[in-house]
Amino acid sequence: MSNLPACVIDNGTGYTKMGFAGNSEPQYIVPSAIAVKEQAGIGDSASRRSQRGIDDLDFYIGDEALSSPNYSVKYPIRHGMVEDWDLMEKFWEQCIFKYLRAEPEDHYFLLTEPPLNLPENREYTAEIMFESFNVPGIYIAVQAVLAIAASWTTRDVGSRTLTGCVVDSGDGVTHVIPVVDGYVIGSCIKHIPIAGRDITYFIQTLLREREQGIPPEQSLETAKAIKERYCYVCPDIVTEFKKYDTDPQKWLKAYNGVNDVTKQPFSIDVGYERFLGPEIFFHPEFCNPDYRTTISEVVDDVISGCPIDTRRGLYKNIVLSGGSTMFKDFGRKLGRDIKRRVNYRLQLSEELSGGKLKPTPIDTNVVSHHMQRYAVWFGGSLLASTPEFYEVCHTKAQYDEYGPSICRHNAVFGAMTFSDCR
Amino acid sequence: MILLEENNRVIYETLKAKFNAAKPESVNIAAVDFDGVQYQISNPDGDKGVINLSAKMRMYEDLVAHGVQDLLKREYGDSLLDAPEEGFDVTLRFELASLPSDKEAMAKKASLLKRNCFASVFEKYFKMQEAETASDETAIVHYHEEEAVYISAQTDRVTVIFSTLFKDPDDIVIGKVFLQEFKDARKAHQQAPQVLFSYGEPPAELSGQPNLLRGDNIGYVTFVLFPRHTTPANRDNTINLIHQFRTYLHYHIKCSKAYLHSRMRSKTSEFLKVLNRAKPEAMTEKKFGVGKRV
Repeated sequence: MSNLPACVIDNGTGYTKMGFAGNSEPQYIVPSAIAVKEQAGIGDSASRRSQRGIDDLDFYIGDEALSSPNYSVKYPIRHGMVEDWDLMEKFWEQCIFKYLRAEPEDHYFLLTEPPLNLPENREYTAEIMFESFNVPGIYIAVQAVLAIAASWTTRDVGSRTLTGCVVDSGDGVTHVIPVVDGYVIGSCIKHIPIAGRDITYFIQTLLREREQGIPPEQSLETAKAIKERYCYVCPDIVTEFKKYDTDPQKWLKAYNGVNDVTKQPFSIDVGYERFLGPEIFFHPEFCNPDYRTTISEVVDDVISGCPIDTRRGLYKNIVLSGGSTMFKDFGRKLGRDIKRRVNYRLQLSEELSGGKLKPTPIDTNVVSHHMQRYAVWFGGSLLASTPEFYEVCHTKAQYDEYGPSICRHNAVFGAMTFSDCR
Repeated sequence: MILLEENNRVIYETLKAKFNAAKPESVNIAAVDFDGVQYQISNPDGDKGVINLSAKMRMYEDLVAHGVQDLLKREYGDSLLDAPEEGFDVTLRFELASLPSDKEAMAKKASLLKRNCFASVFEKYFKMQEAETASDETAIVHYHEEEAVYISAQTDRVTVIFSTLFKDPDDIVIGKVFLQEFKDARKAHQQAPQVLFSYGEPPAELSGQPNLLRGDNIGYVTFVLFPRHTTPANRDNTINLIHQFRTYLHYHIKCSKAYLHSRMRSKTSEFLKVLNRAKPEAMTEKKFGVGKRV
């Protein structure tokens, strides 16, 4: 086996993160978009796309796809799952040859999948990787498990565990996924219909009500920039409002932008939206009157819905992943809220038992780290640089012997499988 | 994308970002390129103001005899370190404080490192041909684990022979068809170099070379480059194209397979439609008059 690093490709709904194992950040973060030439007409997409000659090589991916006129832009991944395998195969083609410049025959590959992915999809992935690209070996990892592996950097080697509750918040939707010993407890996954995009929209409405200077066509990107630059999570909104009212100079920020059309600079004040934006995780009724469950409540519900012997381990290791969990003090507030709920419940049971039962306190811990934005990729990079990775990979020889069904199961590795955290 | 890019994107984008960064940032990135080239971008001794780009390539050993060091010195000047970092063959050093004004061009040049290394052997033989001296020996560059490229110059042409190994039996078939197209393309484009290919057995020009690969999964591709390809004006373009030929061939074999797969998928869905039409309709209860059932 050559000593070339493995390639780690994390295909998300919005962005694809790719790079080489062992690096601490992905080499590319590009939109999971592909721009192809398509004829207008009847029939399904495959027949409309059937081309002659070398037209099948005429496409772009990533940022180039979004900036190519006269092409139709497609997103082959929907809700984390690959929908269009033709496009996905092409997408990988350019990932490997144009961006990573790796010879697929010499590199092992680590790919990711969402929780509850269909085993058939793993087979399709294996077919493409082994048949088209002749890769020597692949491993398909669950994103949530990689997110837990990414949090290992914050702790010592002895306590590396694959048990934890992942709070994964990207642009579209937030998932809370319990993982025990590297396996996802599928029945207990919950979704929260609030994520990065909703925060942007919320900030946009707040700005629209107050600020005049923003050009309408730029209001979304302004809101997004404010979200990324100035927002943070506050411990308590009432005191935060007071702080802003007593000392506005200290807390108000100014955002300076330039109008794209007239090139005139504009300046707007950034006020309460600094803490109100991320606050919708904790007070969802601010932006969505139909949805009132806070993120802390959902995490608590998910964990208490899990098998009873796993709950302590899950409370002990709540892992954040995805760009929308990057707000300052997000982890701290989430941890505090969950701790409060848990302690209240323990206290209640103590009272109900008339003081006879003294429950052992539950340790709750929310893990924040620097790699949150691409935690999944980083976890993959971490695992794919261990020697164990090459042992659990499905190899081309196995594929030729048994067929794609070998990829239905991908062995858990990288930690003590029976952890001491229970 | 029909032709592969000759520069390395990871190197280019990383260096560009680091050169243009407002304040020096630490960097430690491993990257690869085709033909088993490994790069490392790092700060020597943790000094953020200096960036080292080191490369390790299998073919470097063979290229030393063909003046790769002179060429690198010519291209990179003082950036090239005389003693490369441990475990690597070439090291370029960039000091952020003393970069030239055109940082992007610098990053671009650095990203062409592998191409420039490989170019040395081609340049040597192209010049030999230009001087109309026939080389008595053939240059052998082992650019891949078992595969090699053989280059020799005559007074009127330069012959470049690639040996390549196909890991998958299907690749041989697709490769054959693909190379056939190359041959046919010459009819349409007279200026193209002559391309010959053979399977299993090495071509006659190579007889007498040691360690030649033989076998059903081995292919030999011969390019005959005429003086018009090796003139100084065309030289760079020729090198850009030919030094990646092996990767280009394998890339297109993979693309062809992807194309075949998409055709298969559309055919399958078509057949499925036919099958679904052939299904007997769901049995419906037949009614004979109101309220009466048989």
